[in-house]
Amino acid sequence: MHELYKLASGIFVWIAILGFAAGMIGRLAHLAVTARKKDPVVYQYFSFYYALRSILHWIIPFASTGMRAHPVITVVAFVFHASLIVTPLFAAAHVILVMESWNVSWWHLPDPAADVMTVLVILGCLFFLIRRIVQENVRYLSTPGDFVLIALVAAPFVTGFWTYHQFYGYETAGILHMLSGELMLLCLPFTRLFHMALWPFTRGYAGSEFGALRRSRDW
Amino acid sequence: MQSRHKTAARLALMALLLTAAAVFAQGHVTTVEDSGFEKRTRPVVAFEHDAHNQKAEIYDCAVCHHVYENGEKREGRMSVGMECSECHLSENNRPMELTRAYHRMCKTCHLEKSAGPVQCAQCHSRQNAPAK
Repeated sequence: MHELYKLASGIFVWIAILGFAAGMIGRLAHLAVTARKKDPVVYQYFSFYYALRSILHWIIPFASTGMRAHPVITVVAFVFHASLIVTPLFAAAHVILVMESWNVSWWHLPDPAADVMTVLVILGCLFFLIRRIVQENVRYLSTPGDFVLIALVAAPFVTGFWTYHQFYGYETAGILHMLSGELMLLCLPFTRLFHMALWPFTRGYAGSEFGALRRSRDW
Repeated sequence: MQSRHKTAARLALMALLLTAAAVFAQGHVTTVEDSGFEKRTRPVVAFEHDAHNQKAEIYDCAVCHHVYENGEKREGRMSVGMECSECHLSENNRPMELTRAYHRMCKTCHLEKSAGPVQCAQCHSRQNAPAK
């Protein structure tokens, strides 16, 4: 247990953080260079004004007609993503561990709030899982990898919840929490989860094309 | 009548035992306490001072009760009887710095020796006294 903990709290953290950072920067740079070569139109039409206008209409809940047409998925997606990003960054235990290691700290959530948000993430994962199975058009587009990704995202939250509440086997859950979190971080740049970094660019390009070229709205 | 005497005798014996236990418990450390933590966010940490040191074979108080001056550990001096918060709470009074000192003291040693608790819940067990 101690040896595993040392690995998971030591070298694996660095591999995860550096892999995540290098993967993100590397993939974005690669896409930028490839687009310049193969799809120069992206650069020609790109407009900051129309890009930001589109992004703004898609990060505010119900600001787009698409969202108003699908209220359930809109609420679930916003709550899920907000909880997914905020919880790991502002969980008290995480802030304390960072403070311990590097002597830097920031504001943290009260434990009950992080607890509720963890449950919301897990429920969100269940919602997306059921949606992939039940909704026909989504099922048609789903690959086995998509189900693995849902499990990958849910794993750190399920194990975090488990170890925080000290259920049976919480020590194993604690180790699995660390390992699954690191694995998720490492997979972010190299899987469909890359939308975390890519969405402002795809959204921005759509906004540019619709705004500057077609003189129309894309929300 | 006789049963009343018996009850009184039992109560007297219990009172005596409780008093003895209280006297014996004086100076016997069983939990980590520090007035620097005004409000606990996690369950209290159980710590049997004497049993721990026997098991860990620590016979020099300064191993834990250290004294630092200008970032240097002062050999041969110790801080027994002082609360950690006397040094480890900065002027801006951030309890997290005190938490950090405790965590580094306990966890670092446990990891070095590959013995003892290192995960949150292993020390802050819900079976101990709850957060206040």
